[in-house]
Amino acid sequence: MTSVPERPLEQQITLLELIDRVLNKGVVLTGDVTLSVADVDLVYVGLRVLLASVGTLERLGE
Amino acid sequence: MIYLYAIAEELTGLPDVRGVDGAPLGRRSVEGLDLVVSEHDGAEVAASEEAVLAHARVVEGLVERADALLPARFGRGFRDEAALRDAIEGRAASLRDALAQVRGCVEIGVRVLAAEPAPPPATESGRAYMEARLARSEETERLARELHEPLAALARAATRTVGATPRLLLSGAYLVEPGALDAFRHRVEELEAEHSELTFVSTGPWPPYSFAPGGET
Repeated sequence: MTSVPERPLEQQITLLELIDRVLNKGVVLTGDVTLSVADVDLVYVGLRVLLASVGTLERLGE
Repeated sequence: MIYLYAIAEELTGLPDVRGVDGAPLGRRSVEGLDLVVSEHDGAEVAASEEAVLAHARVVEGLVERADALLPARFGRGFRDEAALRDAIEGRAASLRDALAQVRGCVEIGVRVLAAEPAPPPATESGRAYMEARLARSEETERLARELHEPLAALARAATRTVGATPRLLLSGAYLVEPGALDAFRHRVEELEAEHSELTFVSTGPWPPYSFAPGGET
């Protein structure tokens, strides 16, 4: 029996932390073409929402 | 269009994965730097979550195949070989410095969330409100420093970014040598124990995305 609520949350955080890095960090070179990022904003908003909810979830679990 | 995944030194090979849109990976060499790329028709790659993850998988697969590695930001492509070459040549010195800094290290992410969004203070005057607000932001900054500095002391380099939400007290990235990883994790646990009212989210090890030069936007 594994802890059901924690694991998916942990995996989601890891996934969103990864996406945050790929989208917002990393080398940027001048003269490059910036590709369309319309969908990407939505993914990033997801990260913020999740982070904001982590504390709430943990308190509910106490 | 030539899409860039990473800039590396002493790259021994390519991982057995496909790139963005299923494109095969290729290598280029400019000024002694190894570039990992894929070629695409047209000037755009659709920015789906799947494409972001494909980019991340390529970078992840390169970590163990390079002496030092700088991930490229998602969604960066070049018109042709000449444009790619020009972009690298203009930055070769700073890229080499950045590669030297990250060599042998991994990135650890630490985010700390405040316990509660503090309620706006009950105020009788605008001045009292402003003073209370200022005191709160000074307290937040003091606490963020108190959490960040002991971790930064265990890292080769560290960065702190302003949080995306007011509750995000600290959003730090730490470039840690493998030999210091246990000590670093232990320090995070200590801080967590000292601040039981805060929520800590520690992730990694990551490729050094946060220590690749390229603008803070």
